[in-house]
Amino acid sequence: MVIDDEKIVGDMSKMALEQEGYIVETFLNAEPALARLKEEKFDVVVTDYKMKGIDGMEALRMIKSLYPEIKVIMITAFANLDTAIEALRGDVHDFFPKPVKIKELKASIQRALSK
Amino acid sequence: MKIEQKIILSNIINVVLLVLIGVFSFQNLELVLTKLRFVEIADDLNASFLEMRLSEKNFFLYHDKASLLEIKDKISSTEKSIDLAHEDIARAIGKENLEKLTVHLREYADVVEDTVSAGVVKSVLEFRLRVKGRGLREYSQEITQIERKSVNSIIGSSKNILIYAFLAVLITAIAVSHFISQKILRSVREVKKLAESISEGNFNTITGIIPKDEFGSLITAVNTMSAELSRREEELIQSKKLASIGVLTAGVAHELTNPLNNISMITQNYIELYDYFNKENGLGLLNKIQGETERIEKIVKNLLDFSKPKEANLLESDMNKTVRKALKLMNNTLDISNIELTADLQKDLPHVFIDDNQMLQVLINLITNSVQAMPGGGRLSIATRTGKRGESVEVIISDSGKGIPAEFLPHIFDPFFSTKGPEGTGLGLSVSYGIIKNHRGQIRVESRQETGTTFTIELPVYKQ
Repeated sequence: MVIDDEKIVGDMSKMALEQEGYIVETFLNAEPALARLKEEKFDVVVTDYKMKGIDGMEALRMIKSLYPEIKVIMITAFANLDTAIEALRGDVHDFFPKPVKIKELKASIQRALSK
Repeated sequence: MKIEQKIILSNIINVVLLVLIGVFSFQNLELVLTKLRFVEIADDLNASFLEMRLSEKNFFLYHDKASLLEIKDKISSTEKSIDLAHEDIARAIGKENLEKLTVHLREYADVVEDTVSAGVVKSVLEFRLRVKGRGLREYSQEITQIERKSVNSIIGSSKNILIYAFLAVLITAIAVSHFISQKILRSVREVKKLAESISEGNFNTITGIIPKDEFGSLITAVNTMSAELSRREEELIQSKKLASIGVLTAGVAHELTNPLNNISMITQNYIELYDYFNKENGLGLLNKIQGETERIEKIVKNLLDFSKPKEANLLESDMNKTVRKALKLMNNTLDISNIELTADLQKDLPHVFIDDNQMLQVLINLITNSVQAMPGGGRLSIATRTGKRGESVEVIISDSGKGIPAEFLPHIFDPFFSTKGPEGTGLGLSVSYGIIKNHRGQIRVESRQETGTTFTIELPVYKQ
């Protein structure tokens, strides 16, 4: 699952990851994504840090409390040490500043699934 | 001539006048003293002459030679004392009178001598003796009288002269100091007027004839200062703008990162999956890249537009448009600062006559201040509305920040006054104030600690 209010991020992640054989769903904000998690089991959630409505940190906390087995990868355009520390405290699997290197993202997802 | 030189000159003139009066009075006193000395001598002489006449009378009564000899003695002693006081007498009554007196005395002495040598009383001699005796005494009395009068008149006239001279000195002193103080006051008033107008933000200069004195230099200095301030104000507006850009940059950087990331992800996929794309898919992706570059272009253009130094350019304009522009520039900054924005812009707002760029700067300054007053996030509301009586347009910016302490409120528009510590330049509000003032508008602030601050900008409605 990919959550980002930038549509292109979702589209491009989907394009790259489907090529690898993953099944990918994209969302522009957290509410419908969280609703979808109730219906379907996802292994990995990639979410943006800063979003309208429920933001990335909040989504991370909710996912971790409801589905602790899901690995969350956070990406952000607003990268600094504080956000990184905050994300790691929230038990994030990985943390990428934008612009995202798709190869790194793929590798990170691979690691998340192999654990 | 310089004022200093004028004052020195007038003082010198007064001192010279006073010295002249002093010298004159001194000489008068000397004269009076001399005359008084003479009057004393003259009194003695008169007494001697009186005694001579008494002896003369005795001689006529008793015809004794002893009386004549007494007269002779008196004459010689009187001649001696006249000789002794010769100079004083000459100075007092003049050489001519002194000569006349000695001639009178000599003649009297001759008659007495004749009478003595005659040995007998002759009526002719007796008559001459009487006449000469009386003449001598009368003359001497007359001179004494004249000298007394002259002493009195000298004292009287010098009293008058002294009074007039002091009056003259006094009047000159008053007139000169009045003239100079008037001149100083006039110049001071002019400089004061200019200083006041400068403090209000109008950098005028004093024109017309500039005097060649200290005030001329002062006026030139103030004029230079005014021109310099005017130039500095422009620089200040520009530097404050650049400082605002520093704050904007954080937001703008974030705003740029997203389209950059999009372009980056598209190209990464394009490179990686090149072989899988047909022409149509590829074009779709390139169009997306084009769209994202346009997005970046817009952001950069907005920032550049704002940062460029611009000549003030007043145009009829809708304030709502400027507010929207400001919000667009600040949107991301508000976003990343966790600030919830409410905008309530009145429809059909009357137009104002503004420099759009400068007004934008004011709004960004105020919004930036609000953001900095709410480090943990908060609420910001911006409203526009028609002012009372429909003659003005108001922009109201309220935050839920920590507020400004009441004791700082009177100073917040002062240059270099900052509550932000080393972060603040203390120029934002002062520059904003200057800009609003130049638009013939007003800017007000209300603040309560822990509840927030409200800035209200009031601009006159544009009238054709």
